[in-house]
Amino acid sequence: MSAVLAITRKETKGFYLSPNFYIVCFLCAAIFSWVYPNVLNKFSVALQSFVYQPEMPKQQLNIHYQVFLPQLNILNLILIFVVPALTMRLFAEEKKLRTFDLLLTSPVTSAEIVGGKFMAVMMAIFGLCFLSFLYPAATSVFTSLNWTTLIIAFLGIFIVGGVYAAMDLFASSLTESAVVAYVMAVMLNMSVWFIGIGVDVVDSPEARRIFEHIALNQHLVGLVEGTIRTSSLIFLLSLIFLFCFLCERVVESSRWR
Amino acid sequence: MIEVQKLTKSYGGIQAIQSLDFQVNKGEVVGFLGPNGAGKSTTMKIITGFMAPTSGKAIVGGFDVFENPIEVKRRIGYLPETPPVYGDMKVRDYLKYVAELKGVTKSKLEKNVANVIEKTQLGSVERRLIQNLSKGFKQRVGIAQALVSDPEVLILDEPTVGLDPKQVAEIRDLIKELKGQHTIILSTHILPEVQATCERIIIINQGKIVAQDTLSNLANLKSGNRRVHLRLRKPSTDTAQILSAVPGVLKVEAGTAEKDWVLDTQENEEMVERIASQVIQKGYGLLEISSARADLEDIFLKLTYGQNSKNEAQV
Repeated sequence: MSAVLAITRKETKGFYLSPNFYIVCFLCAAIFSWVYPNVLNKFSVALQSFVYQPEMPKQQLNIHYQVFLPQLNILNLILIFVVPALTMRLFAEEKKLRTFDLLLTSPVTSAEIVGGKFMAVMMAIFGLCFLSFLYPAATSVFTSLNWTTLIIAFLGIFIVGGVYAAMDLFASSLTESAVVAYVMAVMLNMSVWFIGIGVDVVDSPEARRIFEHIALNQHLVGLVEGTIRTSSLIFLLSLIFLFCFLCERVVESSRWR
Repeated sequence: MIEVQKLTKSYGGIQAIQSLDFQVNKGEVVGFLGPNGAGKSTTMKIITGFMAPTSGKAIVGGFDVFENPIEVKRRIGYLPETPPVYGDMKVRDYLKYVAELKGVTKSKLEKNVANVIEKTQLGSVERRLIQNLSKGFKQRVGIAQALVSDPEVLILDEPTVGLDPKQVAEIRDLIKELKGQHTIILSTHILPEVQATCERIIIINQGKIVAQDTLSNLANLKSGNRRVHLRLRKPSTDTAQILSAVPGVLKVEAGTAEKDWVLDTQENEEMVERIASQVIQKGYGLLEISSARADLEDIFLKLTYGQNSKNEAQV
């Protein structure tokens, strides 16, 4: 267990003490600082017009739907491209620079290696989520917010970030090249969204239900609305577990290949 | 301490090592010798549990490497061919990290790290990023990480590559110092290194052990284990014949220069005397004569490259 912590600590330091991570944070902040005030402004204009249009749907008057949801969608988009950049070097570069030899000849199991690295990526994703959480939090100066809903929404995106992290770690473990790992990881991340298209294509209700269940956005929408559904949680966590497990198998395979 | 039985590893169709058998006792320093591509690194990687053998067994400290890799890894410090260092870490932080990975307890951690930094003389660079260090320093950091958990078994894959002569000497002294406290396997193709540090040698060629014995026994192994170098001023065409007729001379070879001769003879105190008197009698004009025991290099070349590596004027 202490080995997991050692790896987590080392990799987390690697993120937070490297300029690259701060460049990513800066770019995120730049995007949010540009988009968020605009969305917020549009929302406030819409609120004013409510006075003249009382029949307006109630959802359009909810700051969670009109402001926070678009922001979370942007954050999600950012994570699709940023998480692979965080994970790509974790295995690929270790293999290339031969530092993987050190991990594999230390009294550490493959599961501990993957666990340590996964936790470190989660720490970095937490940093990004925290950064974007500051924008809604700052809004509380102007209005009263439903904090629980907001926090659950961010927890949701954090868990989705975990799914990306697990998939991207797996991609990184497959190759020695960080670039290949990055491209593969982005493909994987996007594919979990494209799978949702199946809902509109298939005819049979069973197939439709299956597609609805494996489409990531269905689960995220629920969390963003502030409802924690066990089925969603189980689905997301089992995705994380599945890819961590696959990754562990790949790491373990280098011992007998 | 280390026991290897019928160890075989093949990569696809290529057999890297074939049915290796050897033992290393506790506290021994064993040199693992062989030309490039002989299978040294492969064998070491298997012993460290880094990769699995195709067949056969390796046992370290009573634990099978494949059945119980964690216990084996606890007992081993390993320096691979390329030192496994992270460029973006500082030397001290890196060594602490390795110590944590190897399961060194918190109470011992600081002491162990300070110890290896002193042993490998890294004090002057301990707060610098590893990527900014020279190759020699990186190599020393690599040795330090192998030592930091104070392991029972040390496996060093070409530990002195990239070091300057002074550092090479220091590393050799360090290895000598570690003798007795640790069981050490050292792979190299630099022969003086083995002579300077190892008690026992395993010579491996094309995946097979061709010799394993103590250094002095190996030197005796070769027939005609005294070698006489001869330089003559005016040799004649039948010099080789005349010289090989001297009782005790086993083989006469042309030396590197035109008038040089190299004679393999029986181990006998009088050989130099006999050859010298013969040369003087014939009036060849003796310029220089010296005798040396067959050195490791000869044994190594003979065992790994066979007889046909030199132009031999055997009569």
